[in-house]
Amino acid sequence: MVRKLTAIPELCSGCRMCELTCAIEHFGVANPKKSAVHVLVAYPHPVVRLPIVCSQCLTPLCADACPVGALRRNERLVELETMQCISCMKCVEACPFGAMYAHSDLDYPIKCDLCGGAPRCVQTCPKGALRFIPEQSLGEAKRLNNILSYTHMKEIEFTEKGEPRTIRYAEIGKEEL
Amino acid sequence: MSLRSGYFKKALQVDLSTGQCQVRTLADEFLERYIGGRGFGAKLLWDHLVARDFRVDPLGPDNLLVIAPGPLTGTYLPSSGKCSFVSVSPQTGIYGDSSIGGSLGIELRQAGWDLLTIEGRAAELSILWIDDDQATLLPMPELAGKTSLEAEGLIKERLGTHEVRVAVIGPAGENGVRFACVNTDWSRNAGRLGMGTVMGAKNLKAIVVRGSGDLPVHDLKGLMAEAEVAFKYMRQHKYFKMWQREGLMMVVDYASVAGILPTHNFKDGSFPRVGQINGETMLNSYKIGDSACFACPMSCGNICLVKQGRYVGTVTEGPEYESCAMLGSNLGVDDYAVVLHANQLCDELGMDSITTGSLVGAVIEGYEMGVISLADLDDQPISWGDDAAVVALIHRIARREGIGATLADGAPGVLRRWPGMEKLLVQVKGLEQSAYDSRAASSMALAYATSDIGAHHARAWTIAKEVELGENWTDQERVDEVIYHQSLRPLFDMLGVCRLPWIELGLNEEHYAHFYSAVTGRSVSLPDLLAQSDAIFQLTRLINNRLGMTRRDDSLPHKVQACPIQTGPTAGKVIDPQHFERLLDLYYQQRGWDAAGNPPPEVEQQHCGSSP
Repeated sequence: MVRKLTAIPELCSGCRMCELTCAIEHFGVANPKKSAVHVLVAYPHPVVRLPIVCSQCLTPLCADACPVGALRRNERLVELETMQCISCMKCVEACPFGAMYAHSDLDYPIKCDLCGGAPRCVQTCPKGALRFIPEQSLGEAKRLNNILSYTHMKEIEFTEKGEPRTIRYAEIGKEEL
Repeated sequence: MSLRSGYFKKALQVDLSTGQCQVRTLADEFLERYIGGRGFGAKLLWDHLVARDFRVDPLGPDNLLVIAPGPLTGTYLPSSGKCSFVSVSPQTGIYGDSSIGGSLGIELRQAGWDLLTIEGRAAELSILWIDDDQATLLPMPELAGKTSLEAEGLIKERLGTHEVRVAVIGPAGENGVRFACVNTDWSRNAGRLGMGTVMGAKNLKAIVVRGSGDLPVHDLKGLMAEAEVAFKYMRQHKYFKMWQREGLMMVVDYASVAGILPTHNFKDGSFPRVGQINGETMLNSYKIGDSACFACPMSCGNICLVKQGRYVGTVTEGPEYESCAMLGSNLGVDDYAVVLHANQLCDELGMDSITTGSLVGAVIEGYEMGVISLADLDDQPISWGDDAAVVALIHRIARREGIGATLADGAPGVLRRWPGMEKLLVQVKGLEQSAYDSRAASSMALAYATSDIGAHHARAWTIAKEVELGENWTDQERVDEVIYHQSLRPLFDMLGVCRLPWIELGLNEEHYAHFYSAVTGRSVSLPDLLAQSDAIFQLTRLINNRLGMTRRDDSLPHKVQACPIQTGPTAGKVIDPQHFERLLDLYYQQRGWDAAGNPPPEVEQQHCGSSP
């Protein structure tokens, strides 16, 4: 099964545990700036907290931008061959999501490697805002929100064994008919 | 064992009058002894005051502002995102500090600084821009009058980057409101004791930081192993999920049920319409997102939006419990949208929401009792729950308009103009009491009275235990509990971490000794750290005594000892002044202080050396 690393901005609290964990995992240092995931916060208008993660694109623009072919797609991962890298950082600028990062201490760009198939950022996120999910599940939340936007929730109150209870149900599109 | 890591051993010293930024090397002895954060601040302020014979104008260029994270700030452990602001408080005139969350402290450390000191006064409104090892003072007079969040946005625009941390003041700080706060990451505040006022008096609108360096950790693997145990404990705690959902807002219901919720300027101990301003209401109708400080799984911050009605479009992080109680039930406000709006105003204008709520509540009661006249109110009457009048008054305080000019000077200003308000103001040493009614718990009254900064729950929060134990608690146990809190709590501020995992989820404080040892390589036990932590409380006490505080100032507000709580489960409760004096005697005795509340000479001798 192919899994994708993805972020759910509605759940992110901006605590940056993902950044710190990624840096420790890959560089052995407590430095949230040396991370392949960064939480961008835009506030107050609109309120968004979003961890920017690599999508391991099938047609990676980072690799296209690399003049020496140091970035290559291998199975489901876009990998950086550091021996070939000339440190021009063109890939960092080429990523349409800004999901590659440069740091002045490092000779190479910081490239997400999915931690060999078990991303540490996903494990450490206390809010479940980072997910490593089957590709076909991508967009599921959007789909759900979309159908819910068509619904009108109705409530029925009734009594069961003397206890008042309510049941909610969706009445779809009736008002337009 | 001595220090091996954990510090950069460097302080940035900024003199705003000359625009000079200097690097000061920090000695191991200073780092070991004072640890960081509040510890650094207290020692540096002590040295600063000793050198000036304890004559420093809080609003003058000679006041010192210390901004210091701790050695654990930004490292891999729960809630490591704290940073302390320390200065002579313009609100109380004595030692003051306030802790800020978000990511400011991490950024300052990543820029390579253990602490930042600010003196002098800039010629025009400026920002201090710290970009790793480069520090520059940039005049930005165009920021005058801008609200905190607006200014943060403008600064980021002007510097051309969003990837910086900004600590900024609002118009209240610029206008010399004595209880102005400092705002960071859009809505985390160093709220109390006028740290924003100090910045305003120095013509410093903001401190902007960008850092890239590694944080020094002696034993990262050891630290992570210990941290994982702590994280796991927190995740498995029965209230953990509830914390993520409601944060401190869950305290609103608890406080009302326990009869300790400030209501109608502390007339009542619970609020009949509490259900309209509690955590459940927030969750059901207002909350749109979570917010956490650095590395915190609890994410106590709630981002809320008003979706309909008069205040539609109000969006802010908060309120947390204190703001909700002081701007809600304490003012008789029963609409969460109003609380949210008032909270946002305090953030944007840059004022402490606890003091603001307390002063507005006192004004409402003062007007009701006839102490304050309609003319005093600039012909704009105000009553319990009158949201439009409350909102208008908050604006007038920040702009020092009409009655706002008096309120902006805090309790001392109010007392100078209306001596009769003494019976209605709930404050100790000039700092308005936090949102826990101490009449229901004599240990809490003792905690407020003996706090080194005034009536703040941050020093000792013993009320929950006393409410639970009721009368089955001896005076000795009460005193011991207050002293334990006062001794332990500086440690969190010194290490640069949040105390909520300990106080709210019961995370064992032993962890912090292990965290500290792993980060610094200096192997210590919890009792060692507690001794160092208690020494800071004693030092700030000493600073206050030198600034003129005596036993007379370790007192209770009139209301707390003379006006019983009127309604609610604690109705009739009041602190017996004689009982309080007995507790205070016992407290001094236990502390080893004399009957006038002076620490012994050894305390002073301890702090003569070890300067950085």
